[in-house]
Amino acid sequence: MSVPELVTVSVDGREVQVPKGTGLVETALAAGIEIPVFCYEPRLGPAIGACRMCLVEVEGMPPKPQAACTLTAQDGMVVKTALTSQLARNAQNATLEFILVNHPLDCPVCDKGGECPLQDLTFRFGPGRTRMTFPKRTFDKPIPISPTISLDRERCILCYRCTRFSESVAEDGELVAVNRGAQSMIATFEDEPYRGRFSGNVTELCPVGALLPTTYRFEARPWEIQTVPTVCGLCPVGCNVNVTTREGKVKRVLSRNHPDVDGGWICDKGRFAFGHLGARDRIVDPLRRQRRRGLQPAGWDEAVDEAERLLRAAQGRIVTALSGSETVEQAYGLAKLMRTGLGAHTAVLPEEISDAVDGFRLPLSAIAGAELIVVVGDDPVEERAPIVDLWLRAARRNGAEVVTTGVGGGAKACRQLAGEDDELGRRLRESDRPVLIWSGSGGAGGAHVAACAERLGFGSKPDSGVFYLPLTPNGRGVVEAWSAASDDEGPDPDPIGLLFVSGDEAASDPSVRSLAERADAVIATTMFQGSAVGWADLVLPGTSYLERDGTFVNLEGRLQRLRRAVVPPTPDELAWISQLAGRFGVEVSPYPSVVFGELSERIFGGLPYGEVGERAALRGREPTGELRAPAPAATPKGRGLRLVRYRPLFSGAAVERVPELAFQRPAAEVQLSPQDARRLRIKAGDEVDVRSNGTSRRLRARIDKGLVAGVARIADEHAEELQATVEVARA
Amino acid sequence: MPISEILLAGASERDLTKLEEYHMVGGYAQLARARELEPAAILAELDASNLRGRGGAFFATGKKAGFMPRDSPRPKYLTVNADESEPGTFKDREIMLRVPHRVIEGSLITAHAIEARHVFIYIRGEYLTEFEVLRAALDEAREAELLGGVTLVLHRGAGAYICGEETGLLESLEGKRGQPRAKPPYPAITGLYGAPTLINNVETMATVPKIMELGGEEYAKLGTPDSTGTRVFSLSGNVVRGGNYELPNGTTLRELIYDIGGGVPDGRELKAIIPGGSSVQILTADQVDTPLSYDAMREAGSSVGSGAIIVIDDRACIVQLGLRVAQFYMHESCGKCTPCREGTRWMVQLLNRIEDGDAEEDELDLLLDVCDRILGHCLCPLGDAAAMPIASYVDKFRDEFREHVRAGRCPYGGESSLERVFAPVDQHRGHPTVEVAT
Repeated sequence: MSVPELVTVSVDGREVQVPKGTGLVETALAAGIEIPVFCYEPRLGPAIGACRMCLVEVEGMPPKPQAACTLTAQDGMVVKTALTSQLARNAQNATLEFILVNHPLDCPVCDKGGECPLQDLTFRFGPGRTRMTFPKRTFDKPIPISPTISLDRERCILCYRCTRFSESVAEDGELVAVNRGAQSMIATFEDEPYRGRFSGNVTELCPVGALLPTTYRFEARPWEIQTVPTVCGLCPVGCNVNVTTREGKVKRVLSRNHPDVDGGWICDKGRFAFGHLGARDRIVDPLRRQRRRGLQPAGWDEAVDEAERLLRAAQGRIVTALSGSETVEQAYGLAKLMRTGLGAHTAVLPEEISDAVDGFRLPLSAIAGAELIVVVGDDPVEERAPIVDLWLRAARRNGAEVVTTGVGGGAKACRQLAGEDDELGRRLRESDRPVLIWSGSGGAGGAHVAACAERLGFGSKPDSGVFYLPLTPNGRGVVEAWSAASDDEGPDPDPIGLLFVSGDEAASDPSVRSLAERADAVIATTMFQGSAVGWADLVLPGTSYLERDGTFVNLEGRLQRLRRAVVPPTPDELAWISQLAGRFGVEVSPYPSVVFGELSERIFGGLPYGEVGERAALRGREPTGELRAPAPAATPKGRGLRLVRYRPLFSGAAVERVPELAFQRPAAEVQLSPQDARRLRIKAGDEVDVRSNGTSRRLRARIDKGLVAGVARIADEHAEELQATVEVARA
Repeated sequence: MPISEILLAGASERDLTKLEEYHMVGGYAQLARARELEPAAILAELDASNLRGRGGAFFATGKKAGFMPRDSPRPKYLTVNADESEPGTFKDREIMLRVPHRVIEGSLITAHAIEARHVFIYIRGEYLTEFEVLRAALDEAREAELLGGVTLVLHRGAGAYICGEETGLLESLEGKRGQPRAKPPYPAITGLYGAPTLINNVETMATVPKIMELGGEEYAKLGTPDSTGTRVFSLSGNVVRGGNYELPNGTTLRELIYDIGGGVPDGRELKAIIPGGSSVQILTADQVDTPLSYDAMREAGSSVGSGAIIVIDDRACIVQLGLRVAQFYMHESCGKCTPCREGTRWMVQLLNRIEDGDAEEDELDLLLDVCDRILGHCLCPLGDAAAMPIASYVDKFRDEFREHVRAGRCPYGGESSLERVFAPVDQHRGHPTVEVAT
């Protein structure tokens, strides 16, 4: 890479050297001087110069204030901000006076009050009193633009950050400005609810109290809250977040920009799903099955005794079903209990996880700079790992080509790509910055796509990368922790003496339920009544990622630190795992830091717990052993379409318990390729019957150009009992 | 009074909307000749002619065309601004109605000069007849295979003054909300669809064929050294014979208003003149000998702007005039940048209060201060266009403003007449625009 040319700029008499082309706002910051802004936000694309807050004086330019946000550093530039220029001071004061002309100044009842850029800048740069003596512009307010966001048009200062986010980051185009002049206002397109995966980000971009999360309305004042930096535990991206708490309750979740992971955006699931902590059916006491009377609340001592009794009775014939949402420390503690203490080595995860992609590791942000990106697999990226979709959109805007392939048979697509005469494969081979992403099931945990990359010569290209999008948030960390606990192996128990179900995700996995039917006894840890209460003999209350301390490993392989935002209403998992382990002569500390310390010696190179930073670094590439090409997958037989089920973003135990997110749940629809739709004479929006082996579902048809022929894609919750091959016909 | 005809030459004798007739006055001969020339040779003629942009900004046309990169890998575009919307201005519609082929010919010559294969004419949505005339002419030219491989697109606007601002025009042309872009980057570098784009006014384009015919140097002999050639001036307001007149630059206001326009009707006195469309500073009656040229007008404290001269007689209340102008700009402010969006509305509120006689003396200073705080602070020239004239009304007719305050009512009462002085804002109703609350 070439070294950028440095230029010298004088800001208020302070000379500073910055790379040529650096924005003037950043240049001034480098000189320790703040140029105030409202509309300027580099993550939203080129500056638009709308708010006129950043006006400064630049020598040699026309004798009027210049918008600093639209200028870049040139050698010898002499800039005077409001600190030293009367012209700039007047101009900034004027801008604030104009902004306040129609701003309601209802700060005492505004949720933004106390953390409001308009308030702050007015104190520093604005007029102390108003000269406006006319009625202010009024609007109906607040308007719920969706169940999660309310809009106050009177407070809006029309900086257009929100509409730019909608247009150029999320690219949903749903938030727009309508009318003009003083009557301009923000609205949703056609007044439909703002329904998008990333809509909540506009509440953070808004520099005033115009766009606010409905869930935070009148909930707290900035001086009453505490902020806990942690990571989101709802998908394998692991967005960095700040959790706002007040009096021991989570009030909101904000992004905490990790430029390599999330770029400062989070999805609406991560932002709004925290409501599940206070779900009505949350289990706070252990439940013990008692003959005839069913499950009854039990004390913790009784519960641990019962757990010990059940574990002993199984005589080692134990299967542990993991969720992939446990912390690394929980998983390791559990593994020590089961494997060292009980000799029970069998565990199941909802998915297969391989470390094969670690040889092609890149930060997620590198996707935005890639040249050619091929997405392989059945699942829409935005449903599995939403932020990855934003990186893909950024890449496309930067000129990259993004190709989706292999829907309806990822392994086959991989073999084809790596083949000799595949055109796309040839271009991947030739590209300096190619990226392969596997999004879907059947990927052998990333092994297939890694093998494909190996054969395409990615190994010798440092800017190439491979990403596997797992189904579970910490599946990678859980697998690493489980295997680090012991080198021993044992046979799979048959019959199963005890099934230990760890977490709500495992409990809702149909294959785990079928294991439960074969087990003599079941212990489950779940957060919610609905998950396992019907079939467990002992239920231990579970906790949420927002209530735990520990570490997670995200899809990049980045080890990130989880911090306890609020104290759970029940002892956390590590507390009773530690207690129970003691009964079997195994030492497991109840403190995550100690557990991590022990584990780190084994697999994280002795990294101290305290150094898993708030902005975690990415480990280097880790060479993997020989990579085998995927075996041909069995193609389903029979006529009809192959059913592809996917797990939608807005699904799962947490989302189901948040009423504000109900509107985001996936529509009851079946996605068809244009070819199949034409063949079956189905139009978009038609009601169709999807049938297999006697079961039938009535769904609405959606035509998706990204799908290959021969596939019908349905969200898990709408596919239910449908079989692998389905027939689709107009109702 | 010699009336030199350049733009409208031949249009009085013949129906130049017809290609056949246009051919008879040498039509498209210059295009054919220009296509034989190197692009640089055409730019040299434009430079020699010292033709300056007729949209109102007076930027040298040849120089602007010279900003277009020679070796850009992207396509280059020529955009013709036919979104004539400045109150008082109706010269482009005359040109399009009477010499549409000259507009097309000038555009094609310019396209050749900058090696553009695409020309977009963005025409004001309300100009339906003009659009149809231009379209018919374009069809004829296309039929006669005069386009020479150039794609010429006529695009109708949807009723926004701001789309006459060059970058607002580009946004609108791209199908986006018509709002100006921040500059830099300038359109010559990043214009339509991100490609190098040259934007010229209709009148500028229609002048080009004659420059080619006469030669740049010969053309430059017309008019004054700082403002060469002729212009079509739109004369309106309290004047006997309003209309469009093509005259050499440097003609004085007196010649135009009295000799050509027949003076102020009904024995009324001349009170003031707006010499270049609603956005320029007002002149008082004693400045009637100012020549219509760039330098002279600047010295007089105003501008020739879009070449629209509005004559105001002694029946007019200047506060009412200010209100009318301010309402227009409030209505047309796009809402993108703060000072214009909020300031234009505040100006209207203040002017209403003054006109109603409810204002205090210090509110005149507040009005001036609001103007001052808009001036030079906006993203595009619209805010300046609103603030400059209003400030000049207060400056030059302060006594009349003060009289409103002192008397507690408008001294003209119902007597004041702004008939024929700009189109009233009410006439804009019925278009798909929002009702503006004040």
